[in-house]
Parts: sequence; C-alpha cells; structure tokens
Amino acid sequence: MAVSTNVNAPKPTTGIGAELGRRFRSNIQTYTIILALVAIWALFAVLTNGSFLTAQNVSNLFRQMTVTSFLAIGMVFVIVTGNIDLSVGKLAGFVSVVAAYFQANVWYQMMPNQPLIAAILSILIGVGVGVLFGVLQGYIIAYLNVPAFIVTLGGMFILNGLILLVTQGKTIPANQPYFSEIAQGYLPPLAGWVIAAIVVVFLFWNMFRSRQSRARHGFELPNLGLEMAATIFFSLLVIGYVYWVNQYRGVQTPVLLLAITALIMAYVSNNTRFGRYAYAIGGNREASRLSGINIRRSVFLIFVLMGLLSGVAGIVLASYVGYGTTAAGQGYELDAIASAILGGTSTLGGVGTVFGALIGSLIMSSLTTGLQMLNVAPAWQYLVKGGVLVLAVYADVYFKKNR
Amino acid sequence: MSDDIILDFRNVTKRFPGVTALDNVSMQIRRGEIHGLCGENGAGKSTLMKILSGVYPYGTYEGSVIYEGKELNLGAGAIRQARDEGIAIVYQELTLVPNMTVGENVFLGKEPSVNGSIDWSELYANTRDILAKYRLDVSPQAVVKHLGVGKMQMVEIAKALSENAKILILDEPTSALTESEIDKLMEILENLRGHGVTCIYITHKLEEFFRITDSVTILRDGKTVTTQPTRQLTQEKLVSYMVGREMKERFPRGHRQPREVIFEVADLQAVDPNETSRTVLDGVTFNLRRGEILGIAGLMGSGRTELVTTIFGEYGKITGGVIKLEGEEVHISDARDAMHKGISLVPEDRKGQGLVLMQSILKNISLANLDQFSAFFRIDADAEMVAATQQAKSLGVKAPNLQAQVDSLSGGNQQKVVIAKWLLSNPKILIMDDPTRGIDVGAKYEIYKLMNDLAERGVAIIMISSELEEVLGMSDRIMVMHEGRSTLTLDIAEASQERIMALATGIADEILPV
Repeated sequence: MAVSTNVNAPKPTTGIGAELGRRFRSNIQTYTIILALVAIWALFAVLTNGSFLTAQNVSNLFRQMTVTSFLAIGMVFVIVTGNIDLSVGKLAGFVSVVAAYFQANVWYQMMPNQPLIAAILSILIGVGVGVLFGVLQGYIIAYLNVPAFIVTLGGMFILNGLILLVTQGKTIPANQPYFSEIAQGYLPPLAGWVIAAIVVVFLFWNMFRSRQSRARHGFELPNLGLEMAATIFFSLLVIGYVYWVNQYRGVQTPVLLLAITALIMAYVSNNTRFGRYAYAIGGNREASRLSGINIRRSVFLIFVLMGLLSGVAGIVLASYVGYGTTAAGQGYELDAIASAILGGTSTLGGVGTVFGALIGSLIMSSLTTGLQMLNVAPAWQYLVKGGVLVLAVYADVYFKKNR
Repeated sequence: MSDDIILDFRNVTKRFPGVTALDNVSMQIRRGEIHGLCGENGAGKSTLMKILSGVYPYGTYEGSVIYEGKELNLGAGAIRQARDEGIAIVYQELTLVPNMTVGENVFLGKEPSVNGSIDWSELYANTRDILAKYRLDVSPQAVVKHLGVGKMQMVEIAKALSENAKILILDEPTSALTESEIDKLMEILENLRGHGVTCIYITHKLEEFFRITDSVTILRDGKTVTTQPTRQLTQEKLVSYMVGREMKERFPRGHRQPREVIFEVADLQAVDPNETSRTVLDGVTFNLRRGEILGIAGLMGSGRTELVTTIFGEYGKITGGVIKLEGEEVHISDARDAMHKGISLVPEDRKGQGLVLMQSILKNISLANLDQFSAFFRIDADAEMVAATQQAKSLGVKAPNLQAQVDSLSGGNQQKVVIAKWLLSNPKILIMDDPTRGIDVGAKYEIYKLMNDLAERGVAIIMISSELEEVLGMSDRIMVMHEGRSTLTLDIAEASQERIMALATGIADEILPV
C-alpha cells in the first residue's frame, strides 16, 4: 500500500472540456435549476409573443419576488440546520401591519411633517418586531427543546391573531412618501450603471485576488480560461440586467436591497463560524457537539436571523402593497420553503445555498407572473406550481441516482 | 461438510463510473462451511456481498453467480427476493428500528397475521423460540434502543435466522462486540454449522478467521488472490496476501520515554445524565504521563467510552472524585472547554460522531478549530486551507484534493481526517476511542505509527480498544476496567491477554499467575 500523500499532487493537464464536464457533474443541481428557469422563461416568452420579456415585465417580475426571497434566504439557514419555520409568512404580515399602523396613525399625530424620520422609525420598529419574535421562538426552540415545527406552527396562529388585533379587521394605508420608495422606488439609470461597474470591477478583483492567494500558498489553480469565462459571464448578466431594467424605470430599490442582503448572507454562510456551524449541525449534530459547537446558541441565532429577515420582508411588503391588510403574508411561508427546496436545500439538513434559493424564488414568481399574463385561473396556477416543485425535486433525485 | 458447492462466483466483474470494483472474481463456497472473506477496505468485499443481496441486481454486473445449481437472477429492488431465496445479511451497520421491540424487528416485513391484522402472540412466541434456540439472552418484548450494541447484534442475527437462511453473511459482526459476546457469537456460528447453514464471514480481525472459518478467500483491489483452507494459513501469510507484501510487524514499536504525569483521575464517579439513578462510573483511578500511550481495556459496557466522554465533559454527570490536569484540579464543562484545556477526543463512532459526511475534507478538519482562523466574524480561508493541508499531508490522507467529500473516502482515510481534525488544536492529551475500528490493516499500521510519533513528541495518549492484541501491541501501560470501576493499571511487561481478561471479567487477579 502506498503511503504517499496525493493531497497536492499536480493533476494531469486536462482540456477545458473535461474540466467543464467535471464541474457540471459536481454542480448538477445548480445547473438543472438554472436550466429549468431558462426553459420556463423561453416557454412564457413564446406563449406571450415576447411580452413576458419586455423591460416592464421583467422589472415587475424581479420586484415581485423580493418579499418571499428575503424569507427564502432565511429559510435556507433554518432548513440547513434541520429545522423549519412556518411562521415567517405571518410574521412578515404582522410586521407589515405594525409598520402601516405606525405610518398611518402614530407618526402622523406625533410629527406631521417629518415623513423621512417617520419612515426610518417605521423600519426600525418593523425590523425590531421581527427580531423580537425571532428571539422568542428561537429561545423556545433552542433552550426549551420544543420542536421548531410546533413552535412556529403555534407562532403562525398567534401572529394571525395579532394581525387581526392591530388591524381591527380593516386595511391600513402605508403609501406615505419615502416609505413607499422602499419597494416602489427606482434608481436613476446612471446610478444603476455605477453599481453595475462596481460589481464588475469587484468580480474581477475577487477572481484575481483568490488566484493570487492560492498561488502564494502553492495550491492547484483552477483553469484560468474557465474562470475568466465565468467572471465575464456573470459580469454580462449584471450589465444585461441593468441595461434591461433601465429601459423601463431603472434598477428597483427592493431588488438592490435583496441583492445586498443575499450577498451578505451568502458570505456569512461560507465565511463565518455562524454559517459553517449551521451546515455542520444540520450535517451531523453529534459530530458538531463533540467539536465544541454550541448547538443551542447556533440554533437560537438562526431563528433570530430568520426573525430579522422576516422583519425586512414585512417592511418591503407594506411598502410594496401600500397597505397593511388582514391577509398580509398569507401563504408566504410556503413560497419561501418551496423556493429554498427548489434551489437545492435538503430537507434533511446540511445542504443548501442562498444563491439556489434566489433562483428557486425567481422560478416561483416567474410562474405566477407568466400564468397571470396568460390569464390562467388561480386554481391552475396552484396546480402548476405544486407540480413544478415535486417534478424539480424528482429530477434532482433522478440525476443524483444516475450520475 | 462436503464438496457440494452451494455458491459459485464465476468471473464476476462490477464496474462503476471510473472504478472497477470487482475484476474477474471467482470464488466457490461449499455447503455448510464457514467461509472467510478477507481483504482491505476497498478490496471489493462489500460489492461482492451487495451482488448477493440484490442491491446490485442481475445484469448490472458481468459474469455469473451460480446459487444452488442455477444462475442467481435477482431483479431490480430484489433485496426481498434475495431473502426469500435464503440469503440473509447481517450488516456492519445495524439495521434495526430503535423504537420497536425485539420481536417486531425480527419479524419486520413478514409479520404473522390473521385476517389482515398482526398476530402478536404468534409473533412474540416465534421470536422467543428463535432466541431460545440460539441461547440469545434478550427479551422479545425489549425495546431495541434500550439494548447494548452486543445485544442488538444478536437481534440482527435472530432476524436473519428467522428467515430460514441457507446462507448467512456476516459483515464485520464483531467490530462492536466484547470478548464474551464474541465467544457467544462463535458458539452460535458453530451451532449453525451443525445445522448445515453456510456462512460467509467478513472481518478485519484476522485471528477470527483462524478461530471459526473453514476456508478463506482473500481479495485485493477487486481481484481474488486465493482461496485456501484455513489450516494452511497463518496470520502472516494472510496479511501478506492482503497487502501484497510481507508486513514484518503489525504493531510498530516506538522509542519513547514517558515523562512526568500530566493528568490524574482519582476515584471518579458519575451517573447517566438522562437517568441519574444509573451509575456509569463507580470509582475510576489512573494517571497519564506525557509521551506515553495508556491503553484502556475492558468489556463493552464496562464504562470505557463513558469514562472518556465524561472526562471530555460531554456525557456523565460527575458525582464524586477529582480530575487533575498538570497538578491543578479541573472541571471540564463541555467539548469546547476540554479543547481549550488541551484535551482532544477522537470519538468511537467515526461516521456518527466524528465527521460531517456530506462536507469536504477541508471543512471537516477545520470544524472544531474555526476559532483559530477567525478574526472578528470572518474566517481566513487561506489560513484554514494552509493548516488543513498541512495536517492532511502529515497524516497521509489519500484524496484527490481537500474539497473531496469525506463520504467518498475509505474508512481508513476517514479516520485520518477525524484524527487530523483533533490534532489541529495541538492537544496535550489525545484520547482515542477505538481508533482503528473497521479499517484495513494498512491504514491501521499508519495510524499506529502516527500514535508513536505523537507520543515521542510528548503528547499523552489514551487509547481505548476492543482488540486485546492492539492494546498489548501499542500501550506502555494498560488500565483495565470492570463494571464502571478501574481495576489495575498494568505495566506492559506484566500484561498478557489472560491477565487482562481476568481483570476485565472480574475474576480475582491474585489467583492467576503473573
């Protein structure tokens, strides 16, 4: 038996084709889901004679996906640790009515001519309510050992009651200046281009920096051509997106907010202890415990994070709809869970990405928009969405088995 | 025993994408014999058995398997079919449902029924008969999760026997058993041989081949090396067939000089944290010196694992006694605390407690030590990579790169990853709970060498092992436990298998000659 180590053995040179093949196989799930998205878009583009891809529609499509996307990002972390959160839809709804309540009734009395300060205070209160509820649920789940399914199911009922208490069954307007910009605002075209430029510069800088650092430590370098191609591809995506939405009214504020949140959370998931521990706990709780990870604390913090993101989603929701209503957030938890799972999050825990959840969310909202444009009845929209979810997961199971 | 061939593998080849797991394997098994199957991990033993059990159905492999004179033709999803044909497997990883009773487990999938509902009295009566017939000391109504590993194994065997198996395949049946349980298993196997049941016996413990088998087939790299009657073989021969070269000594001897005492445990007492009326440690006393390997021997259930996990702060509730580290009394609250104090634990169950199987080698190695690489919130990926690479290299982890998932590695390499993880914190004391369980001879040898190196560098090592030969081969001193108590700590010069067994089983030490 050879005792040599092959950890850093230089690989035989392989062509770009082989490298591509290897990458494709190792990321098959990501590619499947992206291909599914492209297929869905192509289908709708044909069926709607191209109007699905008009600047206005694409702009609205992305704006529409933001609320559930915030929830889906948090849900990835929750499911990755082997938990579930059924309360997020109602929590976002509750936050939205609280924010609307303060916007419509409180600030107006206290400081009638300060819409900016009022908006900021509403945001703080809304996010605060989300965090507080996350703290409460997280504490009960992590420290009192009540299963997350039950705690959040109870939470869903409680929040529903709270929504009715706050609204008194009525609709509260939340369409005041500044506040409505959160979900309905657009950046001027120039600002959009500046952001695109920053992102592109960052993508290239990041690629070269990571290559440099790998080279410095003597690690094997990925194929330069391939990395360049990937970076150029992503740059073109960003540029293309900005170009497209600038044809309409510019980059949407909530999409920018979502992109920033997603970047931060993607970074957190991979480059912080908090993120790594979440994946380790979901992957093997016992091994994590013996590795000195404080599981209770990690799970608690995950639910606080989920509360925070629900708070953000609630604010965006209130601003997007322009009202706080009794039905606010109804069913969003299921969209969020479906998005995370479409995006490759394993219900068994330990596996899942923020990026995947966003794609999943985009698929869900593409289906909604596309079917609506085709005047498909809501009943059939549900049937199609449910079918797509199960089919997508089956496709994944199938490819994994036959790899 | 006769020359009647019950099972005949003819030129069986099984390919996976990129790997040929079995390469033209031919092997004949005679009716009524106990046939040993020997080979390192990855030699193809499991693949062969998966063909027999229908996990890889007919048509997914080349060559043919003749069973009872005709071609074995198992369809897809044929696990049930294989059982009906009389082929039963007891897997290394137990496949019992923990929340069900012994009887329910034995008859799982073939519950006796009357008018569509389960006939419970019949089920339990049958279970009782089977258990009694083979002298298995388990109650049919006992819930499986309350049983020890040894008894669970017995239930697995009872389950296989309840199907009137003609061929019983035992895949590493003794890896978690104590000496007395192994004795019992051997009795059962003798008994089965008497009844004409054919057994295929897979193990990593070479001495068991000589204890029980009639003939042995050796596999190496997916090929049959040879099949020989056991009486023509010796351990040395077996090892050389397995690895393809002579292995001079199974246990490399270090040249180490144990130094001062670093760790002391005096009269440690502890109870089960979930069931405080149950005493798990009832007076354990020993000390540990820098640069030595202290072996802990004892039967399963003697409290070995409980002792080390209690010291590590992760199991027992300490009710009495003193633990001293470098002369100072310490109270270790949990794993993190233990690591901060310089104690590492390589846990007993590699897959269940040691690794996050779906993650990369890199992430597994760094998991317990991310603090080292973190500044504020951020993990320094470069520092992490450098440290993990260095560990993986020094332990000789064989993998294409550190991004490979650990569940793609062989058992020996997985164990090296676990050890790498626990060495990353530079421990003063390294506790290893059954570090070579279920891994092949070559990898064992590498781990032994590593242990010697560490001890020479001054690390104090505690090694628990179920294999007496290993304890005797590796330790400087051996502490023997019996029913939650420490009996004696023997110097290696005064230790022998007989003496350790006498202490471990509670027979008075004095009556035996030293």
